[in-house]
Amino acid sequence: MTLLDSDPTLSAETPPADAAPARRRPRLSLGRFTGVVVALLAVCVYLALTQPVFLSWGNITNIVASNSVILLLALGATFVIIGGGFDLSSASALSATGMVLGLALQAGMPAWVAIASPILAGLVIGLVQGVLISYVKISMIVVTLGFMSILASFALIVNKGATISVYGAPGFDPVYQFVNGTVGPVPVLMIFDAVVLLAAAFVLRYTAFGRSLFAMGSNPEAARLNGINTAMMVLFVFLIAGLAAGLAGLVSVGRLTGAAAASDPTLLMTAIAAVLIGGTAFTGGEGGVLGTMIGVLFLGVIQNGMTLSEIPAFWQGTVNGAILILAVGIGVLRDRGIRLRRRAITTRVG
Amino acid sequence: MTDSTAPFIRLTGISKSFPGVRALDDVSLDIRAGEVHSLTGENGSGKSTLAKIVNGTHQPDAGTVEIDGVPTVITKPSTALALGIVSISQELTLAPTLSVAENIFIGRMPRTRWGTVDWDRCVREAQAILDDLRVHVNPRTAVRDLSLELQQEIEIARAISTNARLLILDEATSSLSEAATDRLLEIVEEQRDRGVGVLMISHRMPELYRSCSVASVLRDGRLMGTVPLPQTPEDALVRLMVGRDLDDYFGSRDVTPEAVALKVTDLHTLDGALLPTSFEVRRGEILGVAGLVGSGKAELGMALGGAIPSAGTIEVGGREAAITNPRQAVDSGIGYVPDDRKGQAILPNRSVAENFALAWRGTLSRLGVLRVREEATLVRDGMRRYGVVAANENVRISTLSGGNQQKVVLGRTFARGCTVFVLSEPTRGIDVGSKSQVYALLQEQVAAGAAVVLISSELPEILGLADRVLVFHRGGVHAEFDAEGLDEETVAAVAVSGRPQTAAA
Ligand SMILES: Nc1ncnc2c1ncn2[C@@H]1O[C@H](COP(=O)(O)OP(=O)(O)OP(=O)(O)O)[C@@H](O)[C@H]1O
Ligand SMILES: [Mg+2]
Repeated sequence: MTLLDSDPTLSAETPPADAAPARRRPRLSLGRFTGVVVALLAVCVYLALTQPVFLSWGNITNIVASNSVILLLALGATFVIIGGGFDLSSASALSATGMVLGLALQAGMPAWVAIASPILAGLVIGLVQGVLISYVKISMIVVTLGFMSILASFALIVNKGATISVYGAPGFDPVYQFVNGTVGPVPVLMIFDAVVLLAAAFVLRYTAFGRSLFAMGSNPEAARLNGINTAMMVLFVFLIAGLAAGLAGLVSVGRLTGAAAASDPTLLMTAIAAVLIGGTAFTGGEGGVLGTMIGVLFLGVIQNGMTLSEIPAFWQGTVNGAILILAVGIGVLRDRGIRLRRRAITTRVG
Repeated sequence: MTDSTAPFIRLTGISKSFPGVRALDDVSLDIRAGEVHSLTGENGSGKSTLAKIVNGTHQPDAGTVEIDGVPTVITKPSTALALGIVSISQELTLAPTLSVAENIFIGRMPRTRWGTVDWDRCVREAQAILDDLRVHVNPRTAVRDLSLELQQEIEIARAISTNARLLILDEATSSLSEAATDRLLEIVEEQRDRGVGVLMISHRMPELYRSCSVASVLRDGRLMGTVPLPQTPEDALVRLMVGRDLDDYFGSRDVTPEAVALKVTDLHTLDGALLPTSFEVRRGEILGVAGLVGSGKAELGMALGGAIPSAGTIEVGGREAAITNPRQAVDSGIGYVPDDRKGQAILPNRSVAENFALAWRGTLSRLGVLRVREEATLVRDGMRRYGVVAANENVRISTLSGGNQQKVVLGRTFARGCTVFVLSEPTRGIDVGSKSQVYALLQEQVAAGAAVVLISSELPEILGLADRVLVFHRGGVHAEFDAEGLDEETVAAVAVSGRPQTAAA
């Protein structure tokens, strides 16, 4: 918890002024996530009571597996947004890297080359975008909007708009095992997600890079004047986003046993919604990946619950949108008033 | 016109707490029409909080507000505006791309009978308001094309044109030069004579003594007293503010300047804001840089700090430093403190600790991994050493008072262990007690062998601290003085006209 709570310093429970410094350390408080976590638990309890399948191990692993692509995209987006930016191209990058993997498998490449191909493609996509933004100095919205379009189109062009089925391709088995295999009862993918999440949390919280990222998102000019190479930081951030898209491409192909040429238009929105629901501020300089994980889980559980309750999927967008607005709205209200009021009372008593 | 018995606004028993701090504690205060009432006190004593309660930004936890004798609850800023309470702070709230006229009438544009904007009337009335204040700008000019000082005057024009009955100035002069401050105070005094009440918050003593007739002093959120001005002597006022005597205000240092630490040759910017400038600063020496706003002194700081592109040579400790970006300035041992704290120095939504830790960017990590424990200790030491008052190091820096934010910024720059410090307006917006502390810290650094370029609009501080003084005018150095025996008039004359006073006064 200590590690995952990437932002303990700004949690609601600021220790009182007179607390002994030695005893002041990040605690098990959920801080800013309290609202979303409570809501998530409430939904889980409701589903557990009404849909007995919900709590089955099979269903839980299914939720994790079917949300891994979103989780990876959302983790990438978390870095971008904390750094004060945004990336409109991530879902298209996922399609493009997926197609690259599909082509590699179709061409009969050995498994390790195939697996490396979407990751490399993602890094290249990130690199090019980063260079255009940082060094050619084209605005981020223009570059990522352009890439959103180009990459989506690329995914259609390479196989004339058709899905590449990779089932039975010689290199596919390791990919399949990675995405669908298990270690004992635990899916490999779940372990992978956990490792990526921990790594991301560690980078944000314990590395000079993470610290600089928050600084840049909070005030780019102050970061720059204190010697942080903000151009390079933006480049790195897009490399991370590209890497995330490449990994998401890998997982996506493994799950679908094929590379889909058409991008899913809801993916980008869902990933960003998860980041924001998880308390990362759109204005930059605040947030963390634990929140993003909670956001992804929340949306995933809701979707799962709707499926189990046989609510038509058309409602998904309405529900996701409402949750996004509610979650961020409650955060705003809390920051503005409720927290101050509660604290004011304790001060008066104390 | 002045009704000396009934106040315009009466505050009784106002208290307000924020997480971990009691910002105001049972404060009672009257502001009368036609009076300039000064609110003073140290950083974090609750002045802005009180102002924000009056203008509807904050709600008091306890206490009552009476306006014209009627108990009133000011729930939001628009309520305050409707009551004729207008506030102006150092942060401008103008829309830069809109014209002066549009800014003055923003939100209440005159309409034709068709409901469309009546542009002619808008410009005409704006012109009338500007003429009335003797502000000479074309109302059609876009605000971003005006100097900061004119913008501040437009801000005031807008405030006054709403038929203000109470004008709140929260450090409205802190980013203005002396001449512009003069103009602003003139306008304020004129409004006072027309019966407007003014609540003025400023850390500059001369301003208080010039315009105010009473001063209320806050300390730790409590009202220490309300005294008449200018009858109350300055040292008594300061004692009320900080609770002790401030002797040896600027401090002193026992050091003989030695080797040249910073040598600048023909440093200039390509846009002409800074003309070729050359000088040297030695270890153990403070070079004061004076000049009006726009004289190029700020650009000198920015060029040395790598914040803006420049040409010419800069040598630090005898070695030439290519400074094309801030990173190179930091790496070559120049510690630059920019004048715009909010825009360029602090990370507003990060903690005090993280803001302080910007000092060690890169050096306090092993293979990219932060040495968290070591950093936490250093941050706590630093906060203690540089006198940062905060509930603890984990609160957001934006919840600290301006002076404490500035101490974080200065502290982290000192902690960086530089040999040369370039400080642009280092005491902007900080209280007399904190200033004295900052001066002591500065003296300490210099005694330990640092070289300091002190760029400031406050002449007393330059004369009190510097060994030598450069005076800027229109982009270049027009005079260099030995600070020994130098007086403000001599420096001001060069700053204004570019020439030393010729005839004896
Ligand atoms: N929004 C806020 N949240 C938490 N604490 C706050 C907030 N605003 C002010 N404070 C705290 O309240 C106290 C009073 O602050 P205030 O800004 O009124 O001081 P001030 O007298 O205006 O200081 P300065 O001279 O530096 O402007 C300070 O301790 C400050 O940290
Ligand atoms: Mg203030």
